[in-house]
Amino acid sequence: MLDTLPVTRECVASLTDIRKTYTMGSLSVEVLHGISLDFMRGDYVSIMGPSGCGKSTFMNILGCLDQPTSGSYFLGADDTSTMPDDELSGVRGARLGFIFQSYNLIQQLNVLENIEMPLFYQGYPENESHEIAMSLAKRVGLETRVHHKPFELSGGQQQRVAIARALAVDPLIILADEPTGNLDSRSGAEILDLFDELHEQGKTLIMVTHSDELAERSARWVRLRDGLVESDERRA
Amino acid sequence: MSDVPNTIGKVAAPISPSVETNKPARPASGFTATRFKKITQVGIKSIYSHGLRSLLTVLGIVIGVAAVIAMLAVSEGASFEAQRQFRDLGASNILLKSVKPAEVEQSSSQGFGPPQAIIYGLTFSDITTIRDSIPGINNVIPSRIVKKNLWNGGYQVSSDVVGTAVDYPISRNYNLRAGRFFSESEVREHANVIVLSDEVARSLFPIDNPLGQSVRIDSDYYNIVGIMEAEGYSNLGQNQAGSSNAAPSRVFIPFTSSKSRFGETTTRQTAGGTESETVELHEAIIQVDSQELVIQVGEVIDSILARRHKDIDYAIEVPLALLRQAEESALRDQIVAGAIAGISLLVGGIGIMNIMLASVTERTREIGIRRALGAKKRDIILQFLIEAVILSGVGGLIGVVLGIIIPFVISAIWGMTTIVTPLAPMLAFTISGVIGVVFGIYPSMRAADMDPVEALRHE
Repeated sequence: MLDTLPVTRECVASLTDIRKTYTMGSLSVEVLHGISLDFMRGDYVSIMGPSGCGKSTFMNILGCLDQPTSGSYFLGADDTSTMPDDELSGVRGARLGFIFQSYNLIQQLNVLENIEMPLFYQGYPENESHEIAMSLAKRVGLETRVHHKPFELSGGQQQRVAIARALAVDPLIILADEPTGNLDSRSGAEILDLFDELHEQGKTLIMVTHSDELAERSARWVRLRDGLVESDERRA
Repeated sequence: MSDVPNTIGKVAAPISPSVETNKPARPASGFTATRFKKITQVGIKSIYSHGLRSLLTVLGIVIGVAAVIAMLAVSEGASFEAQRQFRDLGASNILLKSVKPAEVEQSSSQGFGPPQAIIYGLTFSDITTIRDSIPGINNVIPSRIVKKNLWNGGYQVSSDVVGTAVDYPISRNYNLRAGRFFSESEVREHANVIVLSDEVARSLFPIDNPLGQSVRIDSDYYNIVGIMEAEGYSNLGQNQAGSSNAAPSRVFIPFTSSKSRFGETTTRQTAGGTESETVELHEAIIQVDSQELVIQVGEVIDSILARRHKDIDYAIEVPLALLRQAEESALRDQIVAGAIAGISLLVGGIGIMNIMLASVTERTREIGIRRALGAKKRDIILQFLIEAVILSGVGGLIGVVLGIIIPFVISAIWGMTTIVTPLAPMLAFTISGVIGVVFGIYPSMRAADMDPVEALRHE
């Protein structure tokens, strides 16, 4: 697969024969039956599929929140599939940015502190992380709201805070799980516009969605079915 | 994103076994001061957002810490008080006192006709026997105590007139403020000389120097030869509350003078009329050679007196024994304080564990978010542990404040001596911090061991 790629585009994540089995007592169920996928820098991917296809499990593995039963997953230069927990936390914090359907901001913290959080766990000095968080707040158009708490913001604004937070460590991949699922169409469109901008800047975005409308904005479509890759297409 | 430095692009090919890891976690600066500050701030915020709940949680710690400080202050005060009295009375002294026996009191009240003198108490032959039969006694100082009115012109004071020997002030560690104590020859001559207490001197001679002047008792005049220092009159026989009234107004005259001027029989005004009593000796101080012997000598004296007296019309006070008792009771107090504190702190600790467990469940999602954003297990442990320590620390602080206030209140209301040593609050506060760690560990571990995926799914 590598040789079919343009030379300029390097691979940021490479999954080979990923399998995941859940064991409940004597019953074990294989959810992923061997998924192999490579994600390139600058990819804008939609991952789609009917419910029960293993989408969530795949995303959890992609987000290093869970590890595969077998197979390898290189994120950057390291195989994460066998990493101990602490290292996995480090990889999540340094190389991944998460955007959730329900924003998942911490309610006691204000906008700025929420954006700073991944930097805090990476050990950035306070003034540096403050600077980064401020510029990101400006980047998503919330520079006037930095001292507000999440519950004082609209859904669209909260999701923009979450995007700023996902960008804070300048991750290899930004993972979005139904990012517009909780938003009205106007706010959703704003978020997608922001995604387009990130894509144009060369960020790597991987998005899980049910919505065809959403998926249309992306440049690559991966369909999963019954724990296998059904199709993998790129925009021509 | 132009304003954020782009550090991606160091990786040539991911599959190649490149040693270079892109975006390495920052050199784990560990738990620096800033990191600590940040976590602490978050902890305070979270505790503050549940103000009442947090306050109720730490109540056990508050009570435990306050109780231990207050009880230690009381017991410290009591032992200080005992030691002071012990010093005043002398470590190697035994104090004998005449006490009116209960039976005599009864028979006298039934009597008709002219009041009959009640005879009771220690006698000269008692103390001579004691002195002669027990080795290790180097001095016996007898005292007769008669309550009299002292006059200087128009000034009048009622006082215990102590007829005693020349060694009295030395045996009790009393000092003279001015003049001298009466001499051996004055005792022999039944001289009319008197040594005033500071209080009596000030009352009778508010303006001029009493030395060289005289006071009148009944119809006799006594030359003032000395004045005692104000301190040092407290007496183990009298409790703290009473000592300030009775003891300081003592005045001293030679033993012989007391006997010849006031006679053997003294008359007292009582509620039922006048009452006469004949007491040879009211008090005797027995000085023992060495401190080690005091308690044994005291026991021997007790057995001698028990043989010689039909009624219990005497009392023996051994300051050293009283000190031992005081020390024992102080130790007992401290054990009780420790037990109360232990139980209370245990309850407090369980309370903290309880609330921390609730907090962990409540904040499952937050834990999931933090884990997703790069928090290691130990970051989560530290966060909840710090919160537990803040909780118990705040409780400990409130407890210390209360524990320092309570002894003052006790002193003000009951007049007890209380001493707050700096060690007690420090110890109590430290223990409360340790409680926070001990009872915070389990909830923190539970928080850290959560599966990030499950935690993120939690509503």
